[in-house]
Amino acid sequence: MWWKAHPHDLHRLADRVSSVYVERSHLDRDENAVVIINKRETVRVPAAMIAVMLLGPGTRVTHGAINLLADSGTTVCWVGEQGVRMYAAGLGPSRGAGLLNRQAWLVSRIPQRLAVARAMYAMRFPDEDVTACTMQQLRGREGARVRKIYQAESRRTGVPWNGRVYKAGDAHAAGDDLNRLLSAANAALYGICHAVIVGLGASPGLGFVHTGLATSFVLDIADLYKAEYTIPLAFDLASKGLTQERDARVGLRDRIAQDQLLGRIVRDVKSLLTPTGTELPDDELNQLWDEHLGTVAGGVNWATNSDANPLGPIDPGMGDEHLAVIGPDFDRPAPTGPRR
Amino acid sequence: MTVIILIAAPEGLRGHLTRWMIEVHAGVFVGNPSRRIRDRVWDLLATRINDGQAILIEPANNEQGWTVRTAGRDRWHPTDYDGLILSARQRA
Repeated sequence: MWWKAHPHDLHRLADRVSSVYVERSHLDRDENAVVIINKRETVRVPAAMIAVMLLGPGTRVTHGAINLLADSGTTVCWVGEQGVRMYAAGLGPSRGAGLLNRQAWLVSRIPQRLAVARAMYAMRFPDEDVTACTMQQLRGREGARVRKIYQAESRRTGVPWNGRVYKAGDAHAAGDDLNRLLSAANAALYGICHAVIVGLGASPGLGFVHTGLATSFVLDIADLYKAEYTIPLAFDLASKGLTQERDARVGLRDRIAQDQLLGRIVRDVKSLLTPTGTELPDDELNQLWDEHLGTVAGGVNWATNSDANPLGPIDPGMGDEHLAVIGPDFDRPAPTGPRR
Repeated sequence: MTVIILIAAPEGLRGHLTRWMIEVHAGVFVGNPSRRIRDRVWDLLATRINDGQAILIEPANNEQGWTVRTAGRDRWHPTDYDGLILSARQRA
């Protein structure tokens, strides 16, 4: 397998293009290249230069393509149109856990966690100093800020605003048209943020402000953009009499494409987890933790005293104990005879 | 910026390279790989090019601003004229 990439062959995430969105196309493997094929053209994808491949409606992917994408350290996310709503994601084994370790480290220490939470709020209150605020004070300020935004949008569009009605667990059950539009637009925004977080190799579950849900960090990140994107959008749509949830999704999709929000989310997530100056370790990936030495090489039998490993590094694999459904060989003729 | 040119490359090598760089024309690849990745890609090309030819042009801190590496069977070969790299072609 000469085409297999070694971790040293792969660009660090920071050096990659953030995302490529594909829809109505096939993804396949052709002569060791990842190719996008559609009715119009064939495009070869420099997978090792891309952080996330977003697969939209009408895409098909072959096993060979996924093999190469995983080998290139590229995340694959299945999403709705333009990345709204994330359905599923896949991330190959050939990537370090540096960002994930850092996120876990930050979230499990109160001062560090507070600092990240404050940084998130500081992004939303650009002219205020929040360095000494408690979480309680920050929550209060955020509530006041959001209320002001709702009132300002109501004045701008002439759509009456009677407060946010939101029923946990059932986003579209309560409230008026405006509330439903808001919920639908927010759901789409969560999808994009989710795809970016997974694509970067961070955990959607380890939130700083939000906690408990499997998507806590997604909610944290999405809250950074609601004032600019989903709230004005919902008021704009309501003032035009567009009240379908689809209107909210499509409207958000267009604004995201227009502003290239994806790239901004990537930059924001990275800067929150790795403030300037922090370098993530990026060298040997297969390591074992040691309480005194930090790390030692993995894939080595440490029972002997020598570092030499006669067997060569062991590649951690999936093992063979899984159920298989295997189609028939193509060249075997179909059985003929009476069907029971 | 780095440019790689592959001439008569064996099957699968051009496709492999498109994972790191963009093929702007048959056998002509452009990209911005880091120094480390450039060296590693070059090692792979040099060992697998066989009878074809691989030419890599990369930025360098010299008067010309770039330098060139070649591997495989020479069709074009860079020649040093007092520090200036010119490209020479064998006369048949």
